[in-house]
Amino acid sequence: MLEVVDLTVAYGPVMALHGVSLTVADSSITTVLGANGAGKTTLVRTISGLVRPRSGSVRLDGRDITRLAPEEIARLGVAHVPQGQAVLAELTVDENLRLGGLWRRDPNGQRRALAEAYELFPPLASRRHLAAFSLSGGERQMLTIGRALVARSQVLLLDEPSLGLARLVLVQIMARIKTLVLERGLTVLLIEQNAKSALSVADQAMVLHLGKVVAQGAAHQLLTEEGLRHAYLGF
Amino acid sequence: MSRFFVLTLNGLTQGAIYAAMALALVLIWRATKVINFAQGAMAMFTTYLALFAIDHGAPYWLGFVIALLSGLLLGAIVERVIVRPVESAPPLNVVILTLGLLLFFEAIAPMAFGGQIRSFPPAFSIVGLHLGGSQVAFSPFDAFTLGSVVAVMILLLVLFQKTNLGLRMRASAFNPEVSRLLGIRVGRMLTLGWALASMVGALAGVLIAPTFLLYPTFMDQVLVYGFTGAVLGGLDSAMGAVIGGLLMGFALSYVGGYFGSDLETVGALVILIAVLMVRPRGLFSLQRLREV
Ligand SMILES: Nc1ncnc2c1ncn2[C@@H]1O[C@H](COP(=O)(O)OP(=O)(O)OP(=O)(O)O)[C@@H](O)[C@H]1O
Ligand SMILES: [Mg+2]
Repeated sequence: MLEVVDLTVAYGPVMALHGVSLTVADSSITTVLGANGAGKTTLVRTISGLVRPRSGSVRLDGRDITRLAPEEIARLGVAHVPQGQAVLAELTVDENLRLGGLWRRDPNGQRRALAEAYELFPPLASRRHLAAFSLSGGERQMLTIGRALVARSQVLLLDEPSLGLARLVLVQIMARIKTLVLERGLTVLLIEQNAKSALSVADQAMVLHLGKVVAQGAAHQLLTEEGLRHAYLGF
Repeated sequence: MSRFFVLTLNGLTQGAIYAAMALALVLIWRATKVINFAQGAMAMFTTYLALFAIDHGAPYWLGFVIALLSGLLLGAIVERVIVRPVESAPPLNVVILTLGLLLFFEAIAPMAFGGQIRSFPPAFSIVGLHLGGSQVAFSPFDAFTLGSVVAVMILLLVLFQKTNLGLRMRASAFNPEVSRLLGIRVGRMLTLGWALASMVGALAGVLIAPTFLLYPTFMDQVLVYGFTGAVLGGLDSAMGAVIGGLLMGFALSYVGGYFGSDLETVGALVILIAVLMVRPRGLFSLQRLREV
């Protein structure tokens, strides 16, 4: 279980999050919605240790991980797919994928996870030995998502995974993630621009506006709240 | 034996040493985007440590191992103690720090080991081999020099390209933030990178000492030639550094042989300027690839 308690984050004088609290239960998908600059990326970057909060805490299965280094948080089983195709451009597709699960020191498990990733993303399989900078935008996005799946982490943080991906590919990825949620108890925090599609896959939802939580609840409920949709979600 | 042949052989051996120095600089450049101007001085210091051991009765090989291991350790210490605290500062600050370190090592070496010029024993004879009745300008020690540089390069190549540790090190160098998210302990990788680079520098030190003689600034020249070789090679390519270093060895040997050794340093400068005018990113930069 991932808990965020009363998190406040500032970049110098710019406040990015004000007292945000959130609980993501095991085996569930929670989506975080909000306009550009609402603080969504800041939230996941703080969870994975890249940004230090001014106050508040992050807990993983009851353990306080707020002050841990990003690499230690990753090793506790939190995989973060950063916004915007963060591949290691100079390394090959295969090396990028392998790096996802290297910290586990479990070659057999890794081989299986790698095969699964290639199965999910056939374009990656045929470009296995090419440097990642030669991939298209959508293929890079597949690579960052595939790499996070190879880690077989308990918690998956997805920052706008749909960016640059064709609709059909996105549907496949979400189906795969749903399966992992149901079968392996994966805990997912999903950030999306497209509120409608995010709400349709998520269990829980939260809406951020200028760093503050303006709505929180079951995803299907938010989907039916007329006023909220018009004010913050734009559909 | 023809003059040209002699100069070529001489250039090959010297070039191997410049290649080692160039490689050391490139390893650190790739990991931290810093030119370690103290690389030569650190190698000077570890060579003195080896000589100190030999002076006190240690066999050559123990001295050799001491040079390499103390190089490894010195690199790790410098990264942890000197570079790490200013890691987030602009790279130029770190570069100035390495210049300070250069002065520091060159100042304490005479205090620790005495300032006089010392000769350093070679591992093997430095007299040219006899082949088919005539003497060639290639000694057993030259063969050893060449062989050990090649061996170290192959080991590094295997480490970086074939092992998981090497993969982690490359990832950390290319993108520390993404690497952290993948659970890589980037700090350790940087320390290891500096340690390995400093070991390669230390190798250059013990190998050149018998020819150059040992004094506190004896590595300055090697640093300049190695740096030139690294820039020729594009600064971010290990293979480029090796080829750049070898080219420097050949070029300087020809310049010295045909135009007099006074012109060697000027020759280095001319080569650097000429190449950078034609190819501003060096001969083998990876960046060119990424742009197309
Ligand atoms: N590194 C930074 N330094 C200073 N301010 C920042 C930094 N990163 C983000 N901000 C500011 O913090 C606020 C929240 O940014 P954040 O990236 O979290 O938004 P977001 O909800 O992810 O937006 P988007 O949908 O565009 O990705 C914005 O006002 C932004 O300008
Ligand atoms: Mg964002």
